[in-house]
Amino acid sequence: MVLRALSADLLKLRRRGVWFLVLLGSLGLVALQALNFGLRYDYLVRHLYKEDAWGGLIGEIVDFVPIALVLGVTLIASQIANVEHLNNSWKQLLALPISRAAVFTSKYLVGVIALTVACVLLFAGTIGLGLAFGFGAEHIPYLKILKLAFFPFLGALPMLALQLYLSLTFKNQALPIMIGITAAIATIFAGNYPDFLPLAWPFLAYYAKPAVPVASGIVLFIIIYLLGTGHFARKDVD
Amino acid sequence: MNELVIQTRDLNKKYAGRYAVRHLNLEIARGEIYGFLGPNGAGKTTTIRMLLGLIRPTMGSIHIFGKDLKKEKMNILRKIGSLVEYPSNYGHLTAIQNLEAVRRILDVPKSRIDEVLDIVSLTKEAKRPVKGYSLGMKQRLGIATALLGHPELLILDEPTNGLDPEGIHEIRELIRSMPKQHGITVLVSSHLLSEVEQMAGTVGIIREGEMVFQDTISNLQQQASSGFHLVVSEPQEALQLVRGQGYAGQLENGGLKLDQLSDPEVALLVKRLVDNNHAIYRVEEKRRTLEDIFMQVIEQGGFQ
Repeated sequence: MVLRALSADLLKLRRRGVWFLVLLGSLGLVALQALNFGLRYDYLVRHLYKEDAWGGLIGEIVDFVPIALVLGVTLIASQIANVEHLNNSWKQLLALPISRAAVFTSKYLVGVIALTVACVLLFAGTIGLGLAFGFGAEHIPYLKILKLAFFPFLGALPMLALQLYLSLTFKNQALPIMIGITAAIATIFAGNYPDFLPLAWPFLAYYAKPAVPVASGIVLFIIIYLLGTGHFARKDVD
Repeated sequence: MNELVIQTRDLNKKYAGRYAVRHLNLEIARGEIYGFLGPNGAGKTTTIRMLLGLIRPTMGSIHIFGKDLKKEKMNILRKIGSLVEYPSNYGHLTAIQNLEAVRRILDVPKSRIDEVLDIVSLTKEAKRPVKGYSLGMKQRLGIATALLGHPELLILDEPTNGLDPEGIHEIRELIRSMPKQHGITVLVSSHLLSEVEQMAGTVGIIREGEMVFQDTISNLQQQASSGFHLVVSEPQEALQLVRGQGYAGQLENGGLKLDQLSDPEVALLVKRLVDNNHAIYRVEEKRRTLEDIFMQVIEQGGFQ
C-alpha cells in the first residue's frame, strides 16, 4: 500500500521543484568549490593542501553541508506537503481506500529518497570535481567522501522528520519554512552547540565520532515519524 | 423497501461546543439518487466528510453497504467514489496524470482512465494541464476521478456549485445516468432544490444540523397544493352554494378561492355547481413551487 502511494506521490511531484532543489543543493555545493578551487587553484592546491588535495577539497565542502541540508530539507518537505495543500486534495486523497499511515509514510519516503539522491550526487560530484582538477584517481578517499556525503544527512534526519511533520500539518507553509530557515542559519554555529542538540548533529556526524550523532539522528527521526503518523491518522480533514 | 446503502444512526458532530450535525438518521436505498438539501452551513459537508471517514463523528454510527464504517473503512471506501466541494485536482498535471495518480492508489487497470474520460467527455482535453480548465471541466474531471474505481456509491458534494447553466445541465445529465447505466447509487448535496428535484428520487432536508424532512420527492410535491381557484359565471351565488356544502371559501378576483381539497371533494363540488346551473370556466389548483415548500421547511424546521 505504501508503494502504491509512493508511486502516486512521485508522479504528483513532477515539475514541483523537488528534483530541482535536489540538483541545486548537491551540485550547487560542488559548483561553489569549482569556483573556489578554480579561482584560487595555485594557493589551495600548490600551497595550502599540497600534502592532501582530496582532503582539502572535502574540508572546504563540509562546512557548507549542514546549512545546505537543513535548507534543502525545509524546502523539499514544504514542496512535498504543498502539492496537497495547494490543490485542496487531502480530502480526495484520504477518501481513497488507502490508510492514512500509508499516505503519511509515503511522504516521508519521498523526503528520504530526494535527500538520498542529493547525497549521491554530492558524492559523485565531489569525486568528479577532484578528478577534473587532477587530484589523481589513484588515491581517491572513497570512505571519507562517503562520510562527507551521507553522515551529515543521517544527522539531519530529525530535521527532515520535523519539517515534514510541520509542513504536512499546517496548510500555511510560512511557519515551517520560517523555522527551517532559522535552523539552517543556526547550523553555521553548530560547532559551539552542546552535543545533545539535534541541530549540531549534521555537523558532528562528520567531525566527531559519528556513531553517536548518526544513531541519534536515525532514532529521533523514527520517533518523530511515529508520533506524526499517530496524529495524522486521527486528525479531522477539512 | 430496497436494501439500504447508507444508514446513519443518531449521528452527531460537535465543533467547539456547537453541534454541526445532530441526531442525523440518513437512509439511502440502493440504486436511487438521493438529494441531500439544506442551506449553506446546515451540516451537509460535515455529514459527507463523516461518511467518507475524513472526520470522526462525536457520537452515533455509520453503516455503509451494511458494514460499520469504523471497523471496515478500507473495504467501504473501496466501493465509494467521492467529490467533496470545490475540485481537488492537481493543477500542474494533465487530466490523464491526475487520474493516473489516483489509479496508482486504487490499482485498477490503465484502460479505466480512458473509460472514465469518455464518460465525462474529457477525452479531447485530457492532455492539457488542469490549471487551464474551466470550473465545469474540473468538476467533470472530479467526477471521472470518483468513477475510476468502479464505485457502487457516488458521493457528490455540491457538484454544480459555481457552474454556468450549461455546466449544471451536463453534470445533472451525468448524475442521472449513473443508476441506470452503471448501477451506481448517488448521494448528491445541494443548497438548491430546483437543482436536485430534476434528478433525485428521494430528498433529505437538513437545517442547523438536523434532518427536518426525508421522503420521496413526489411526497414533497404533494405538499405543494395550497387550494383551488374557481372561475364561474355567478361567483356570489356559487360561494353560497359552496359554503352550504360545508367548505370554506371566499371571493377573489371575480372567482372563488377554496382551501385544499381532495380529488373526490373537487369532483363533488363541481358536480353540485353544474347541477345548479353554474357555468364553470376554470378549476385551477394553486400550487406552491417546491422552492416555496423548501423555504418553509427550512424556516420552520418541518411542515406546519
